[in-house]
Parts: sequence; C-alpha cells; structure tokens
Amino acid sequence: MESPKATESPTAVRKVVIHLRATGDAPILKQAKFKTPGTDKFAKVIDFLRRQLHRDTLVDHFVYVNSAFSPNPDESVIDLYNNFGFDGKLVVNYACSMAWG
Amino acid sequence: MLTMEARKFVWEGAIPLQVHLHESEVTTVPYPPPALILAPRLGYLPLLASQIKPHFSSTLPPGADTIWFEYKGLPLKWYIPTGVLFDLLCAEPERPWNLTVHFRGYPGTVLIPCEGEDSIKWNYINSLKEAAYIINGNCKNVMNMSQADQVELWRSVLNGNLEVYSRVSSKLKLRIVSDEYSAASNVLSLGSGQSLDETDVAGQDKTGRVPVRLYVWSVSEDVDDLEDAPPVDCWDKISYINQPVEIQEGKCFTLHDAVTSLLPEYFLVNSLIDEEPSRKRGEEEKKDLFEDANMGKDGGEILCQHTKSCSKSDDVEIKLIRIQGIEPKLVIPFSWVANNLMNPDYFLHICVCLKVPRLKI
Repeated sequence: MESPKATESPTAVRKVVIHLRATGDAPILKQAKFKTPGTDKFAKVIDFLRRQLHRDTLVDHFVYVNSAFSPNPDESVIDLYNNFGFDGKLVVNYACSMAWG
Repeated sequence: MLTMEARKFVWEGAIPLQVHLHESEVTTVPYPPPALILAPRLGYLPLLASQIKPHFSSTLPPGADTIWFEYKGLPLKWYIPTGVLFDLLCAEPERPWNLTVHFRGYPGTVLIPCEGEDSIKWNYINSLKEAAYIINGNCKNVMNMSQADQVELWRSVLNGNLEVYSRVSSKLKLRIVSDEYSAASNVLSLGSGQSLDETDVAGQDKTGRVPVRLYVWSVSEDVDDLEDAPPVDCWDKISYINQPVEIQEGKCFTLHDAVTSLLPEYFLVNSLIDEEPSRKRGEEEKKDLFEDANMGKDGGEILCQHTKSCSKSDDVEIKLIRIQGIEPKLVIPFSWVANNLMNPDYFLHICVCLKVPRLKI
C-alpha cells in the first residue's frame, strides 16, 4: 500500500532518522543511523537491515520499534516516527533470534 | 444501543465466501465446484485453510501448500482482517464474495510470508502491542501477560468468542475513552451494579488516543455508482495511514472530525463545529444514529453535502466510510465508534473512499 504524504508541502518529503540498535547477540552495525524518506514503508527498514547484516534470512519478527513491537511492513516510516519516535529519531531494535515475544 | 450488544453484532459479523481454486492448480476433470464458507469479519483468510483444503486437496498438483487468496487479480494481504478486505475491495458489496484461492506459487514480492496460524497470531499480538503503546505509552500490560492468558486471548479471537475475549482483554486495562453514549444507555437499561462500574470507569478518563488504521482509496468524480468503479488492482492505489485520533472530552467529537483530522491534506479541520449537533441533541439522536448506520443511497447524498462544505477545495469529498461493514453517519460520536466498532487488536479499521476530480495516474 502507498504510504501517506509525509508533509503537507508537496515540494519536500520529510526525512526520518532511523537509529538501529542491536539486541542480544546481533552484530552491531558500522552505520547505526540513517535517514530515509518518511513516505517509505517499514519494509524498507527491514530490507536495509538485511543488506547490512548480510542475512537474507533475517525475518520481520526480529525487528522492533522501541524494544516493544514489530510494526507491519506496510506502515509508513513517518507514521511510526510521529507515533513512537522521540529525540528526533525512530529507534529500531533488531535481533537475530526472537527477543520480545 | 448497549455497548455489549453492538459489539456482539460486530463479533458475529461474517461474510459468505464462494472460493474458487485457481485454474492453474486444477489437475482433474471436471473442475472442482467452488467451496462455500462463512468467513468471520474479525478473522484472517489463511485461518480458513482447514475448511477450504478438503474441497480441493484431490485435484492439487504435487508440492507443498502455502495458501493465499486473490480478488480480481489482487493478492490479498493476509494480516488485514477479512471484513476490512471486503469493505475495502468490494465497493459494491458482493454476496457471496467470489475469491480465488491458491495453494502454490506464493507471490513473495507482494505478500509477506505467512507460516500458518503462528504468523497470524504473531501479527495479532504485535498489532495489539502497537495499540497498547498508543493508548498507554507502553505495552507492558501485553508483554507481561501470562502465556496462558495470551493463548486464551488468541483462541477467543480465533473462535469469535466475545465473552472470553472481554474477560481476558479487560486485564490489559486498555480503556480507550469514556463513551457517554454507551454508558448512559447502560444505566438506563441495566440499572444494576454493572452499570455503576461502567460509569465509574467512564468518569475517570478525560481524553483518549484511539488507535486507527485508515485505508483510503479514490474514485474519479464521473463514477456515480460504485459498481462502476474500477477494481483496486494494485495495493499502491490504497493509502494506508496509521495515526491515532485524539479525543478530547467536553465537546462533541464526531466520526467526521476524526476522519478529516487524519486527512489534513484534503480537509480543513474543525470547520464544521457550528453545524454539529450539541451534546444534548446528540443524546437524543443516539438511537437514530445507529438505526441509520446502514443508510441507503438517500443518506449517502446527505452525507456528501455535509462533507463537501468543509473540503479545502470543493474538488475532494468523502464518498463513503465503512467500518465493520456499516456505513455510519458522519455525525455519530467518535467515542461510540471507537468503543463499539474496534477490532480485537484494539485498532479501529476505517475504509474511506474519496471522490476526486480526476484520478492521478
């Protein structure tokens, strides 16, 4: 599904800072922060993690917002940031095994 | 209308399905007849596998099963509740709803993998956690649930058992917002200890955040009859908005206020306040509101005039709002909608059809 418009202004798509945090035995990334357009879906974040970790098998289950829940991959990054972000970023935790049931 | 009574209707809601096996998976002659199944609105399509599979198992080609569904060529996202898919994709409700089922060739580029009931349960619990986070600012209550309670909660959703669901979910303390309309009816109708409990709880909460998943699609202005609207053939044509709606008590906050606040690019917010019924009028009208929920075409026209007046420009208007298969009047208090029409994951799933001048291609 299409992500909603990030801002009312059509000229600038708002960018969101994603802060990736390793949990458990997951390797820490060299680039733990990245910017992504708010219109992107959360699926893009999962893809980014897969590429960085060189793990095609990383399942959606192991990617969490605020150590709390896994959003569905269709949710837009800007909605997640507006609802659950703080200090100007969206914290995304990742694990290589199930961290929070 | 009692809170529980309305919720009971929602929980009993079901859609008759006529399920056809895709021709590429038929290996026998003659073609197997379609399977007729009643699908709970609050359920998820892959959960019907055990009922559907026996109809087609003898004709399937060799291979491993991964069930998925499509409607008019669109693969259906399994984590959207069945009732929402129907409200969203079947502009003119079709009964039975003709779906195509596949057991082979999972479209991994369009749909995320589904490993049966476990995936769906996992998705449900995460959705519940997300809702809890919106309501309480954390989801400790869901995370701290005992394993037994979690299993019981999931089974109540699976089996459509509202009684068990109400008992277990009440432990989560996810009261969204007080709903004076339902609470007042309870006092009138029950007049017992139970009603006191309801009003006590109602008195405590002053504001509330309602978790909403909004699905928006558009038709061009030359489509008068939704039957003539082109089918949604690609998920990109649907905007998916996940924003909580903030209810402030002390003023009448309607479904119209809620939906337009979620679509600021199309609508001016709060421009209709003077036209809204006062709280007192709202009280008197509450019975009518529900009776009119299944409004016909006449109601639709009134509704369009109502919304047109507050569109930022006159070119976009709300053609249709569907929640749990009903098309509620836009003046209905949003607190009532939130408390009575939400899904078991505590999200209110709202389907909105916008009428736009020309479809952007």
